[in-house]
Amino acid sequence: MTPWMASGLVYASGLALTAGSITLLFIVTRTFNFAVASMATFGFYVAYTGVALYGGLPYQYYPLVFLFGSFLGIVCYFGLNRHLLRRQAAEITLMMSTLGYDLLLLSFIQMYADYLTHSYGLFPRRVTLNTHDFELFGERAAAIILPVIAIGLLTLLHQFMTKTRFGVAMRATIENPVLAGASGINSDRVYMVSWIIAGGMATLGGAFMAMAMTGTPTMGMFTIPLMFAGAILGGLTSLYGGILGGFMIGMTEYAGVFYLSQQLGPWVLGYRMAIPLILMAATLLLFPRGLAGIPLGKIIEKRFGRKRGESA
Amino acid sequence: MTTDNKSYSNLGLKDFFLKREVMVIIVILALLTFLFASRGVNIILTIFIDFAVFAIITMSLNLETGYTGVPQFGRVAAVIIGAFAVGAIPGRIMAMFMGLPYGVEYASDTVNFRLVPEINQVLAGSWLISLGFLIFSLFIAAICGAAIGWLISRPAIRLKEGYLGISLLAFGDFFMWVGHNWNAMVGGSVPVSVPDPFRIFAGSRFMVIVLVIFVIAFLVFTYLQKLHRSPFGRSLRMIRDNDLSAGAAGKNIVSVRTQSLVIGAALAAVGGGLYVLYVGSAASIGFTKLTFTFWPWAFMMLGGIGSNIGVLLGVFVLVILRTMIVIFRSQWFGFLLQIGIDPLWLEFTLMGAVIIIVILFMPHGLVPEKVEPMLPKSRVRAVMERRRLAKEQGNQS
Amino acid sequence: MLKITNLNSGYGKLQVLYDLSIEAPGKGITVVVGPNGAGKTTLMSSIMGIAKVISGEILFEDVPIEGDLTHNLAKKGISYVPQMGNVFAELAVSDNLNMAGYLMTKEESKIKAEQMLEIFPVLKKFYARSAGTLSGGERRMLAIAMGLMKNPKLMLLDELSTDLAPIIAEKVMKEVARMRDELGITILMVEQMAKRALEIGDTAYLMVSGEVRYAGKADDLLHEPELCSMYLGIKAGSEDAIAEIEKPSTEGSE
Ligand SMILES: Nc1ncnc2c1ncn2[C@@H]1O[C@H](COP(=O)(O)OP(=O)(O)OP(=O)(O)O)[C@@H](O)[C@H]1O
Ligand SMILES: [Mg+2]
Repeated sequence: MTPWMASGLVYASGLALTAGSITLLFIVTRTFNFAVASMATFGFYVAYTGVALYGGLPYQYYPLVFLFGSFLGIVCYFGLNRHLLRRQAAEITLMMSTLGYDLLLLSFIQMYADYLTHSYGLFPRRVTLNTHDFELFGERAAAIILPVIAIGLLTLLHQFMTKTRFGVAMRATIENPVLAGASGINSDRVYMVSWIIAGGMATLGGAFMAMAMTGTPTMGMFTIPLMFAGAILGGLTSLYGGILGGFMIGMTEYAGVFYLSQQLGPWVLGYRMAIPLILMAATLLLFPRGLAGIPLGKIIEKRFGRKRGESA
Repeated sequence: MTTDNKSYSNLGLKDFFLKREVMVIIVILALLTFLFASRGVNIILTIFIDFAVFAIITMSLNLETGYTGVPQFGRVAAVIIGAFAVGAIPGRIMAMFMGLPYGVEYASDTVNFRLVPEINQVLAGSWLISLGFLIFSLFIAAICGAAIGWLISRPAIRLKEGYLGISLLAFGDFFMWVGHNWNAMVGGSVPVSVPDPFRIFAGSRFMVIVLVIFVIAFLVFTYLQKLHRSPFGRSLRMIRDNDLSAGAAGKNIVSVRTQSLVIGAALAAVGGGLYVLYVGSAASIGFTKLTFTFWPWAFMMLGGIGSNIGVLLGVFVLVILRTMIVIFRSQWFGFLLQIGIDPLWLEFTLMGAVIIIVILFMPHGLVPEKVEPMLPKSRVRAVMERRRLAKEQGNQS
Repeated sequence: MLKITNLNSGYGKLQVLYDLSIEAPGKGITVVVGPNGAGKTTLMSSIMGIAKVISGEILFEDVPIEGDLTHNLAKKGISYVPQMGNVFAELAVSDNLNMAGYLMTKEESKIKAEQMLEIFPVLKKFYARSAGTLSGGERRMLAIAMGLMKNPKLMLLDELSTDLAPIIAEKVMKEVARMRDELGITILMVEQMAKRALEIGDTAYLMVSGEVRYAGKADDLLHEPELCSMYLGIKAGSEDAIAEIEKPSTEGSE
């Protein structure tokens, strides 16, 4: 693997999880979750705190990272999202509310960083976590471990959504909340579980991304457009599409920057984020209507052997 | 709904809203007096400038979001373009006329710090050139802003609600990055000094700036109020409330929305340009989406989406609170300082809390949008009266 | 069993039902008929807590249920077969039935599903296919099966016979009558096949523009020549009932 491929894989795996998180929440609750930004940053800080204070590898803190994300998700659901869903709030209101939550989280992150400096003498505002990595088969371990974790998580989710009763109930609620309610499925619980899963995915994604980029208190704020771009590219209709969209955005960014900077010179680096955004703009221009027009989500689903009905 | 009924029957719509506005204004005045008494006049002037600049930007946001229903999450892009246009173009033109270097090297910090004082001397010598410089700066900002507004609207305008919001956010960020990285234009991460058209007023510069920005903010306000009542404003609201029926009524939704985005971006760019003229330098790092997208959103939501009076009050209240966090940080938040936390972060807490509280508990903000009737006022009054009578009769039987 | 008094409800700002009072007595079939857009579906969704109830009272077994969440109503024993979106198109038929039995244990739900396949043998063929690929009639059968599976005390049936071949429609009507007679289920049904429904029904309501225009015995409505021809497109009191069953009623509201 070339160096750009290794860090591209790491970065893209993280972006895939965050884009998947956005997609999942959107298809279940109609909420575009802004708070993935700070959730991702929090994920990084949980891993960093573990490594810096208790030693070891970043990977061993991932379960904790996921749990913390779930906690953040539950707080947002019960404090905010639930009331608004009950009120049948507009999409924009739902989105704005998560922006408010994101800003609260951002202020806590900033304060936490200050606190780490003050009490432990750490420098948490510019962190390169990948110095804590090891080598595996002659590669950076992260380039192998993280995609594997991401795929494992996705498989687990797929099993959950197709094989367990509650998972099927979740899909039922996504498709037809009215009928699901009439069947006795408590939509409240479905929403809660999706916040738990999406929260965990977002924080884990942030912890992944910090293995490829510099961890800062605003790293989530900085990359949120790319996470959204991934979700949009994936069509926002299926979880798998979202994950693939995020992955593609991440890989094109790394590949594009690598080749363009060889061709045109290092100044390209400053505009690296333009590449995925141009990809997104192209998608929007080509499929202005549903974005569901992109067959990406459907292609993936076919691969998983599910047939879709006529509903879009 | 219940408040509406009440106001119709005993107070009259106007008095009811006025009362709320008056209450907020009293709070603002009280806070200002307190600040004036404890910190002197300079803090008041700073608040006024922040207020006026953000009022312009937030009103432009309100035009797009409140009037038109476009969730503009990329406000920062137009602001930053306006700021950079003012940072890059008028100074270069002055330099060109004066025979100084005006190419890429204008923005490099070794040249820039010698150039700008020379230009300033010329400006300080003639009020005519100063005025021309000011007007030209704002003009160029508006033009560039409008261009960027149009450009951003292209891929996004046909999208709906959330999609539109996140696309605007992404493209807003994109132009923000361009601004942060395009060194040849305004020096990228190194701030470029901007010639100062207010130099001529020497000692009272600050006062004059406050005055000028206030006047411009007021002009923007009256313009938007007029626009709101014009046929174009009615189309905007129609599209916002129901784009299906507006489309059926023959409104070209895309073109009306685009116009709104272009006007909004031009106004926001003027706001950004004024800010740069006041600060005296264009530092790209200062233009973040936190300050120039999310804060305006918080202002607008607190004030009341769709209501310009509300927006003005919302901006005023929050600008004062923000300033208070800054100046009283060690006095009031000493407990945070003791564990090493900078109380300045409370600014974000305030912003997030305001957004959440407004959404949960007062979705229409401080001053809710007045529902402008499509019919003449006399007709509306007649209809209301008839309904009231019918209701009373119904109650009696 | 179900008693609705002075119900005003609608969607958002749009009010659809005005001062509607309807009673569905226990162990009987109550038929609601009316032209398109009269608000019949809105009545059902108001009961199920989907449409917004502005005012009025809905009593189920003498307990007010307005404002209850949909899934709680399901728990209380109300089963609802909507007019539209009455199956999960993306789920397999088996999963659809599984979801219909969500409130039972897995074993119970399996046994129930078997019973449903007995009644609607067509569904057996499609057991593993996703419901979105079924034909309109097959879908409706699946929907009915899902509604029946829930062992309800009260069933709300919105236009059951639409999309069905006349023979199957007749079978479904018989099944509905059997549910009342043998299982003692209270049924509130909306039907476009007004004549046949009124024949098996006990009580009837005619709804027009969100208001009740007629309330009384089902048989009696059939003998109101003016109402019948104006809103239901059936000749009142005509003897050739069988012929009427064969052709669906016209939908004109004029
Ligand atoms: N979700 C909704 N939002 C807004 N208006 C609605 C909604 N559903 C129905 N309506 C309106 O409410 C009115 C009554 O609709 P409803 O579906 O209750 O009629 P119906 O009697 O069931 O008609 P049909 O026989 O065609 O099924 C109609 O005018 C319809 O346009
Ligand atoms: Mg109906």
